[in-house]
Amino acid sequence: MQPTRCLLKRSVWKGPHIVPLPIVRPEPGKRVAPIRTQARSATILPNFVGLKFQVHNGKVYHDVTITEEMVGHKLGEFSPTRKTFIWNRK
Amino acid sequence: MVFIFGVNFNEQKLVKKALESFYALGPQTSARILAKYCIHPRAKMGTLPPKTLTALTAELSTMTIEGDARRIVQDNIKRLRDMGTYRGRRHAMGLPARGQRTKNQVETAKKLNRVERRG
Repeated sequence: MQPTRCLLKRSVWKGPHIVPLPIVRPEPGKRVAPIRTQARSATILPNFVGLKFQVHNGKVYHDVTITEEMVGHKLGEFSPTRKTFIWNRK
Repeated sequence: MVFIFGVNFNEQKLVKKALESFYALGPQTSARILAKYCIHPRAKMGTLPPKTLTALTAELSTMTIEGDARRIVQDNIKRLRDMGTYRGRRHAMGLPARGQRTKNQVETAKKLNRVERRG
């Protein structure tokens, strides 16, 4: 049997792509500003769950709230970079 | 006519091909099943004794094939869609999800990439 496709994406010995992000643990009763980042290739780690990110798409920052099932994906997957083409009739 | 797993097969059909007609059961798995029940690789459906047929049906009912396998694929696509990933969006649009070009030749993606994927 092969390992799962998730493992085949990248060599296991390299580990996940970890980017140092300014993560602040939210203290109870305080609102923390979302983490603004351009690191779209950063892997979402289990300790990101529940945090709010603002992921750059080249133009604007998209709000992304990390849920449990997003672990293992990249931040950039949740911030679309392309605009859908709409024919502009005048 | 021979019954396996609720499906009717012609007696002239190869057992290997009959097994491969189930979704999520390919050449490798069917060859393994044939070896397990000591069936010749080129045996036809008519030559199988009824005891083997019931054994084959019992074997297939323990595997995740047909509807169960399809549901797994659909659940994976639905999970991507609900998370809001790029791949999920591309599936919803019926376009290639892995960066292929879309100028021409998107027929396979149009056919397969759906939230309720059939094949």
